[in-house]
Amino acid sequence: MKKFFVFTFFFLIVLSVVAWKIQPPPNPPGKTELTWVSDDNPARRGQIALYNQLYPKDILKLDPDNSGMEKVIVQSLAGVGPDLFDCYDGFQLSAYVKSGIAWDITDQLKKMGINVKKQVWPCIFPDLMLDGRIYGVGTNVSVNAIWINKKLFDEDHVPYPKGPWTWKQFIPIAEKMTKRDSTGRIVQYGLLCDWYNWPQFIMQWGGSIYSPDGTSCTLDSPQCIAAIQFMHDLIYKYHVMPSPVEQAAATAGGWGSGTISFFAADKGAMALGGRWWLCTLRQNSVPMDLGVVPCPFGPKRVYLGYGKATLINKNSPKRYEALNFLKFEASKAYSNLICHQADGFGPIKADIHDPIVLHDPAYPQENYNQVWINVMKYAQPEQISPFINGNTVTIIINKQMDLIQGNEKSVPDAMRTATRQINEEIQKTIAIDPTLRMRYEKLTGRTVN
Amino acid sequence: MNKSRKSSDFWSAMGFLLPNLLGFLIFTAGPVLFSLAVSFSNWNLERTVPFAWTGFENFIDLMHSQDFWLYFINTAYLMIGMPLSVIGSLMLAILLNQKLKGIVVFRTLFYLPSFTSGVALMILWKALYNPDFGPINMVINTISHDLGGSIHVAPAWLLSTRNVLGLRVESVGLTIREWGLGARDALVIMGIWTAIGGNNMLLYLAALTNVPPELTEAAEIDGASKWSLFRNVTWPQLAPTTFFIVVMSFIGGLQGGFDQARVMTDGGPAGTTTTLAYQIYTKAFEQFQVGYASAISWVLFSIILVITLINWRIGSKDLNY
Repeated sequence: MKKFFVFTFFFLIVLSVVAWKIQPPPNPPGKTELTWVSDDNPARRGQIALYNQLYPKDILKLDPDNSGMEKVIVQSLAGVGPDLFDCYDGFQLSAYVKSGIAWDITDQLKKMGINVKKQVWPCIFPDLMLDGRIYGVGTNVSVNAIWINKKLFDEDHVPYPKGPWTWKQFIPIAEKMTKRDSTGRIVQYGLLCDWYNWPQFIMQWGGSIYSPDGTSCTLDSPQCIAAIQFMHDLIYKYHVMPSPVEQAAATAGGWGSGTISFFAADKGAMALGGRWWLCTLRQNSVPMDLGVVPCPFGPKRVYLGYGKATLINKNSPKRYEALNFLKFEASKAYSNLICHQADGFGPIKADIHDPIVLHDPAYPQENYNQVWINVMKYAQPEQISPFINGNTVTIIINKQMDLIQGNEKSVPDAMRTATRQINEEIQKTIAIDPTLRMRYEKLTGRTVN
Repeated sequence: MNKSRKSSDFWSAMGFLLPNLLGFLIFTAGPVLFSLAVSFSNWNLERTVPFAWTGFENFIDLMHSQDFWLYFINTAYLMIGMPLSVIGSLMLAILLNQKLKGIVVFRTLFYLPSFTSGVALMILWKALYNPDFGPINMVINTISHDLGGSIHVAPAWLLSTRNVLGLRVESVGLTIREWGLGARDALVIMGIWTAIGGNNMLLYLAALTNVPPELTEAAEIDGASKWSLFRNVTWPQLAPTTFFIVVMSFIGGLQGGFDQARVMTDGGPAGTTTTLAYQIYTKAFEQFQVGYASAISWVLFSIILVITLINWRIGSKDLNY
C-alpha cells in the first residue's frame, strides 16, 4: 500500500510537470487580451484571426463555454465576466442593460465616426439600441428566404418557383413536391420550416405581438390567429410541412440533426431559412444544387430580419480596448469576411454592394446572392415589449405553440390564452418596477394602482 | 487534564476542523440562509426593480399560482416509478447475491448506468424514444402490425402531453382526452431503469450479505420455504436499508427532474415535464426573479422535510433491527 501511495505521489508530480510545460505561453508584453463570449461556430475563428491580424496590439480569444445570457450576467456582476459578449435579440439587450452590464457606447461611437442609425441594418436595431442609446454595432444580419433543392425539382420535372410570390401560390407547388411511401408516410416534404419562425408569419398577416407602444399583447388579434392557423394548416391541412413528431423522427433517425441537416438529406424540396444555412450546407458530403427565391408572403410583403450584436461589458477593465472590436465590425474587411463565410451579412448596409457579395470567386456556383440582397430591403425586426421579461414571454408562447403544433388545442384558444397570460405578466411587471410603471402610465394615460 | 492543555487541544481540534468548517459555512450554510432571507424579498436581477422586503408575498403568490401546482404535480408524477424501482433493486440484489461464476461481471454490468454520464444516458434514451425510428416504437409498431393493427400505434413519447393518469395540461384535474403515454411516462420509465441497477441495488446487496447466516440456517432446518425464509427472515433484516432507500428516494424524487428537463425536453411539451427544481432554475436565471425562486426552494424544502418526518414516524415503528 505504501508503494502505491508513493507511486501515485510521483505520478501526480510528473503530470503536474507535464501540465506546467504544455500550458499556453503568456501574452507577449504590451498586448491586451480580450475575451469574447460567443458560439463556437467555425466562422468565429476566421473572424478572430482577422481581428488579431488587423489589431496586433490585441489578442482576441473566444470563450464558447460561458455563452448564455444568465451566465454572462451572473459572471459580469461578480466581476469575472467577459470583455465582449453576444446579444441575440431586443429582450436580451434590455436584460443586459437593466442588469447593468451592457456599456452605453453612444458617445464613443460618435467619436469613432460610426453612425449606427444611418449605417447599420435597421432589422438589428433591437439587438443594439435601447431607448435611443446605443450598445453595439452589430455582428451579423440575416433575413429568411426559401432555399430550393434543385435536384428534387429536376427529378419531378417541376419548374423552380420564382418570386415574388404569395403563400397561396406556394401551396400547390409544395403539395406537388411532397411525396409519400407505400405506407402513406411522407418521405419528402414540400416545405421545411422551424416553428420558431412564427413571428414572420404574424408580420406577413399584418399582425403584431404587442400594441405599437408595447403596453399590451395582441396575439389574439384576427391577423395573428390567421397567421398561426396558416402555419398549423401547412402541417395538418395541406400536409406539406412535418409535424413535431415527424420532424423529431427525421432529425434523430440518422439523417443528422436539425432542419438544415434534414434539408441537406433531400427530405425537403424547399426550406425557410437564412443565408447562414450555407455554413452547414457548404460542408455537406454531397454538394447540393441549391437555389434561393424570396419567401412567399401573405397580406403584407415583409420578412423577418434578425442577427446579433456584440456588446461590451460595462464592468470590464479593458472596455476601452474592446471598442476596437466594434470598430472592426464596422469595417469593410469584416463585412467581406462575414459574406465570404456565409455567416449572414455584415452589419453595415453599404457593404452589401461590394462585388464579393454578389459573386464570391471561391464559390462560383452560388449564383443566387442577388436574391438575398433584394430581400434585405423587406427585413423587419421582431417586436419586443419593454414591459415584460422576454424569457417569460417565450415560456408562455412555447407552451401554447407546443399545444398548437401537437394539434391538441385550437389556434384561437391557444392565442387567447397566451395573450391573457402575457398581459397578466405585463401588469405584474409594472406593479413592481416604478420606472416602467411611469412609462406605462404615460403611454396609456391610465393610472396603475 | 489542566486548563492550558484543554485549551491547546481545543485549538488543535479547531485547526483540523477549520478548513472543512469554513467551506461549509461559506459555500453551504451561508447561501442557504441567504436564500431564506431573499425569499422574503422581491430581489430581481434586473436592477430597475428596486429591492424591497415583501414579507410572505412570494409564498402567497406561489400558493395561488397554477403553474406552481402543475409543476408540483409533475414532480410527484415522476416519482410514481419509485416503488417499482425499489422492488426492482431488491430483486436484482437478491439475484446478484447468488454464488455464481462471474457474478462480479453481472454486478458491474447492472451498476453501469450509475457511473455512466447522466447526460449521455439521457441522449441515448432520447434516441430510444424517437417516435418513428426509436427502437421502442419500432418494436411496438411491429407487434401491432403482426397482430393485424396499424403500424402507427406507438406513442409520441417525449413529444406528447398524454399520461397514464389522464392529467390535464393547463389546469389541475383529470381528463380522458389526455389519457395515454407521453413525455412524463417516458421519464418515469427511464428513471426506473436508471434506479434499479444503481446505488439502491448496492445498498441491498450490502444488506443481504449482512443477514446473519445462523438465522437463515435455523429457518432452513425448521423447514421454512424459500418465500417464508424471505418473508420472515430476510425482509425484516432489510428493513433499515429499505427505510433509508425510501427516505432518500423521496428526497431525490422531489428534488429531481432538472437534468431530464434540461437535456431531453426543455420542460415541455407544454410544460408537462417541468418540475419544481426546473422551475426554480427558470424563475431565477431566465426570468431573474431570484426572490420568488428562493421562495419555491423553501417551499420545496418544507415539503421534503414534512414527507421525511412522516416517513420517519411511520417507518421507524417497524425498525426492530
